[in-house]
Amino acid sequence: MMTRRLRLFLLVLSLVVLQTTIATHLHVFGAIPDLLLVATVAVAYNEGPQKGSLFGFFSGLVLDLFLVSPFGLSAVSFSLTGFAIGTFQSGMAFQSRRTQVLLAALGGLIAGSIFAIVGGAVGRAGYFSLHSAQVIVVGSVWNAVVAVPIFMFVRWALMTERLRRY
Amino acid sequence: MTFVKRNVRWPPVMAALLIAALFLVALDERGSGPITSLRRVAREVISPLQTGVNTVFNPVRDLFDGVLNYGQLRDRNLELTRNNEALRGKLLRERAVGSKVGELEKLLDLPTFEDATGVAARVVGGSPGNFERTVLINKGTTSGIKIGDPVVAGSGLVGKITAVSRTVATVTLINSAGFGVGVRLENSNERGIAEGKSGESEMKLSFLTNVQVVVKKGELTFTSATEDAVFPPDIPVARVVSTQKLTGDLEPTITLKPVVNLDDLTYVKVLR
Repeated sequence: MMTRRLRLFLLVLSLVVLQTTIATHLHVFGAIPDLLLVATVAVAYNEGPQKGSLFGFFSGLVLDLFLVSPFGLSAVSFSLTGFAIGTFQSGMAFQSRRTQVLLAALGGLIAGSIFAIVGGAVGRAGYFSLHSAQVIVVGSVWNAVVAVPIFMFVRWALMTERLRRY
Repeated sequence: MTFVKRNVRWPPVMAALLIAALFLVALDERGSGPITSLRRVAREVISPLQTGVNTVFNPVRDLFDGVLNYGQLRDRNLELTRNNEALRGKLLRERAVGSKVGELEKLLDLPTFEDATGVAARVVGGSPGNFERTVLINKGTTSGIKIGDPVVAGSGLVGKITAVSRTVATVTLINSAGFGVGVRLENSNERGIAEGKSGESEMKLSFLTNVQVVVKKGELTFTSATEDAVFPPDIPVARVVSTQKLTGDLEPTITLKPVVNLDDLTYVKVLR
């Protein structure tokens, strides 16, 4: 039986490989889905803000290894998004597939905005632009599209008795 | 349907994560060696998996592209055949005329595009993020590629290497926001900087040495010949698509379109 940590490692590894291969071919209006961000939202949805932000921090760092943007920028945006989604979700009375899809889109909006703001603040050209706004919105729609399978994958990785009820 | 009550007060750890992440951002912006090494190692570790996925996925992608774009591909093939014939003729004419600029560069003993040796590479992916314009190629340090090497495709400049591991390298495209290339204009030889514009495939030409110069639509720009330039001279970069000067502007707004279609790259050549 695989341990939870091993399953989480496999989750991150699989998603980073998919993000750097297949996802790079899925450009729609300049945006692609952010698989590790959706996984962060799923962890925050299932486990709350603490684990959501921790998972977001580490998965963001892993993604940063494959980007040319500043190292740590995805970690900032993912960890804050994990915290925000976990906090927001813990007050919700209803949980459903539709909620997962909406939270994935919301996570894309939050993380994209933080990424653009912090990236622009450290002097990266083009982060504060209309195009960034377009990419954030389209990317959020993409995140909503891929949400259901990634939420299922994350649920498998977390695998707790409580979660199996859903 | 369920309701889960959780304790959401967790500022100390959240604050620690934020500080750590921002520290890493600042460290990387100052050019940290360990982070560059870490990135190189991560790319090397994951590249066999990427190759495996690409090997499986690329034929599927090519099949879908072929079926969905059959008409486009046929038209493009015809157009390329016609262009090829026209270019052969033009090349022969240009050989006869010679290049004044080329002669001057030889006098100055500057390296030229033709002098540079290169490594052919296949584009195996795009950017894994939404805020950068890069492509991944299937050659790395084992083929002699290093950071800063210029990258060209058949007809012109593509970009430069910004990250490299043993087997793969990342090319930042010339139309990325913040990317600048020193260029000269085809007719006047005036120099300027061709810069990427955020989210647009087009570029802008600024910092012209002579702002009064007449720039014609369709005019080509080439990498300029300077001693410490990143790119060898005379590589076609972009073509002027529009020029506009409003009252009060210090210099005209000149829009350029890269000579190479940067959204549809298959093979590139890394110059050394």
